[in-house]
Amino acid sequence: MAVDITLLFKASVKTVKTRNKAIGIGFDSTKDEIFKRSRPKSGFSPRAKEVITNITKLKDFLLQHRKDYVSAGSLISSDLSRMTDNDRDQIDQDAQIFMRTCSEAIKQLRNEAEKQVISAQIKEHRGAVLDLIETYLKGVCKLYSEQRAIRVKRMSFVFRPLEKTASSEVQDNPVNLWEESRVEDELSPEEIQMFEQENQRLISEMNSLVDEVRQIEGKVVEISRLQEIFAEKVLQQEAEIDNIHQLVVGATENVKEGNEDIREAIKNNAGFRVWILFFLVMCSFSLLFLDWYDS
Amino acid sequence: FVGSLFLCCISAVALKRMLNFNAPPLKNTAAEPVWKVLIYDRFGQDIISPLLSVKELRDMGITLHLLLHSDRDPIPDVPAIYFVMPTEENIDRICQDLRNQLYESYYLNFISAISRSKLEDIASAALAANAVTQVTKVFDQYLNFITLEDDMFILCHQNKELISYHAINRADIQDTDMEAIMDTIVDSLFCFFVTLGAVPIIRCPRGNAAEMVAVKLDKKLRENLRDARNSLFTGDSMTAGQFSFQRPLFVLVDRNVDMATPLHHTWTYQALIHDVLDFHLNRVVMEEGMGAEPSAGARPKKKSRKTYDLTAADKFWQKHKGSPFPEVAESVQEELDTYRAQEDEVKRLKSIMGLEGEDEGAISMLSDNTAKLTSAVSSLPELLEKKRLIDLHTNVATAVLDHIKSRKLDVYFEFEEKLMSKSTLDKSLLDIISDPDAGTPEDKMRLFLIYYITAQQAPSESDLEQYKKALLDAVCDLSPLNYIKQWKAFTKMAATPANYGNSGVKPMGLFSRVMNTGSQFVMEGVKNLVLKQHNLPVTRILDNLMEMKSHPETDDYRYFDPKMLRGSESSIPRNKNPFQEAIVFVVGGGNYIEYQNLVDYTKSKQGKKIVYGCSELFNASQFIKQLSQLGQK
Repeated sequence: MAVDITLLFKASVKTVKTRNKAIGIGFDSTKDEIFKRSRPKSGFSPRAKEVITNITKLKDFLLQHRKDYVSAGSLISSDLSRMTDNDRDQIDQDAQIFMRTCSEAIKQLRNEAEKQVISAQIKEHRGAVLDLIETYLKGVCKLYSEQRAIRVKRMSFVFRPLEKTASSEVQDNPVNLWEESRVEDELSPEEIQMFEQENQRLISEMNSLVDEVRQIEGKVVEISRLQEIFAEKVLQQEAEIDNIHQLVVGATENVKEGNEDIREAIKNNAGFRVWILFFLVMCSFSLLFLDWYDS
Repeated sequence: FVGSLFLCCISAVALKRMLNFNAPPLKNTAAEPVWKVLIYDRFGQDIISPLLSVKELRDMGITLHLLLHSDRDPIPDVPAIYFVMPTEENIDRICQDLRNQLYESYYLNFISAISRSKLEDIASAALAANAVTQVTKVFDQYLNFITLEDDMFILCHQNKELISYHAINRADIQDTDMEAIMDTIVDSLFCFFVTLGAVPIIRCPRGNAAEMVAVKLDKKLRENLRDARNSLFTGDSMTAGQFSFQRPLFVLVDRNVDMATPLHHTWTYQALIHDVLDFHLNRVVMEEGMGAEPSAGARPKKKSRKTYDLTAADKFWQKHKGSPFPEVAESVQEELDTYRAQEDEVKRLKSIMGLEGEDEGAISMLSDNTAKLTSAVSSLPELLEKKRLIDLHTNVATAVLDHIKSRKLDVYFEFEEKLMSKSTLDKSLLDIISDPDAGTPEDKMRLFLIYYITAQQAPSESDLEQYKKALLDAVCDLSPLNYIKQWKAFTKMAATPANYGNSGVKPMGLFSRVMNTGSQFVMEGVKNLVLKQHNLPVTRILDNLMEMKSHPETDDYRYFDPKMLRGSESSIPRNKNPFQEAIVFVVGGGNYIEYQNLVDYTKSKQGKKIVYGCSELFNASQFIKQLSQLGQK
């Protein structure tokens, strides 16, 4: 197992100090301290640390209110800590705005880091730091979207049974009452009852509409998550396709040049052959001429 | 809690602690990232690379990992973790870094213990640079060994020629050299036991390098235990060893007890890769594009080098690294088929989605499909990873198969197995040696050396001349033979020659060959050999010692117990029960064949855990080079 020898190190520091004092070598320790303090306040890393503290705040906030947020809100529990839907919507909105600002801050940091003229190692380091922060943010966003998906699912589940019972009640009654109410118009209680039932019917219709809307919202949230994943993959592929495109363009250029070279070579070949033929014909003619001259 | 000897886990946990500023790593999800820079030297690199991948380093917050002796730019607001050996040049470089104020804070971790004087050097440099407060922590990590597998470790990879078989056994070695080598080995073994957190019982043979190592190790452990204040084996520092009620057994053997195994041709996957391809620290380096020869006049095809990491996360590798090669070929084919089936499933989902889109009232069905889609999407990365692993193993296995076919390694393997088990030979040795297209000259030399080593009596002069002539015709280098002659003479004086047990090699019938031709790996002409279980000498020695069996070979092994107060070793072991955990260490070098044999032995015994270690890992060609160097002197 690892052994902590920091204390041993500090002891050696003291030994060296006393030894140096004995020999008479002194080091002025005060001057450099002042210079150290004057590090740039708005450098890369303080800002990165700021983004991280913000994200941590968001995470703590989400975790703190998670239990209340996710609680089924059943009619039985009468906890004071139960959240109203308004509160939940407020939390959703705030969280979204916060996440957006954080990701923008990260993007800004990234752009700045690219523009600055610094060594390759520091660039790589900053890139990796920003990647780490982004992963952290993604993790917190996942927390948030999980919570939200659970909430929406719960909502759509809760309203279904209510809707079913209301609609079944309403269906039997209007048929009978309508005939009755026409005959005895003056009887106000029955009128009131009829109006009440119509109210019920309208309420249940509205409820069913709301219920459907909530279901669709749940689906859309899920689809948006999947869509995020797809978008990421598509972006990756885009980069790769660009790469391939460049390679292909280069390849066509090379093939064109190759064709040109081949054409030239053929021409040279042909030209060469013509010269050889010419030379042979000239040689034969000169032979004939010499022969005729000699005889 | 038997089974505390899971080396990979222990070492990886130790490393992760170190990388988390020596605090235990937190387990909560989405923890705040803290970034740091890791600086190592070549020793540190070798230790870290089999255990943690670059991605895992990134996940732990390491943004940059750099070599100590490279040019490093100042990054003034980042803590730096150093993981280096405490040598002179490393210390100088650290002092230079302190003077140049490269980083914000420094966490120094030394792979083995640092001496007091070097610590004072760093202290004075820190004082001079006024950086004492920046040196936040200094640790001795005691990690001076390389963990390759859960149950295998080697001592070092850099500078391994300093403690190689050649270095230990050469004729002109001085006492001081030997002392230095022994000190290096003992230091690493000591670190190993500190990390393990257990004090073992040591057994070793008499009269060779293993005995020297055992004596020194016993002394060092004893000194450390006596020093109650600074003992590394008591109290909270023990995590791994404190749950097993028995102490582990540590068996030291010398390479000279079994010279045939490193030269042996092998048939299991991992050992084959080590023998035939370039395999170091769990990484295979291969050249792609080794296809048909280029046609005359054309430009040679460009060969790209590909590197593959064979890690613990690769399930196929873990399952098959000890299987015989034909089994591996079949399994790769099976994996490929399962992968294709899963791929088709995912593609089928596409058509399902298209068909059921118009169904109005079936909201529930839609939700099912979204669930299916989500599960498919989340399983896609797994599928991709699986595909990558299948491709990797296909490439590696194809390369190995090419070698086997071109060098006829199966013939060599069969013949050597028969030699080592002293069963009847159907072909004569001379035939194989004079066969021009069976194997490289090295293969032939290996075969002949194994014959020489395992022969009961030395071959007659005329036979020997015949063999030598045949070997020279095949362009072999005969110098290893000189050394082996010396070795044989020496061991004949000392003890009975090693017995390799009775193994048998049965070629599988025609049926399996027909099955194989249907697969992608066309293994026609390569015999499908089945290994029968047999024990190599090292395994047998371990078996005798662990089970407290009496055997002439191991009865006069020395016995050391660092915890005993008397300090005198008797040859009578006090402990009568068989051991549950054992560590075997071969001084002078080991290889994967022995390791595989030990793993097979462990599988046959329930509840035992055996770890294999060696001072260096060599394959047969490296060993032959060392032997020829020794034979030339």
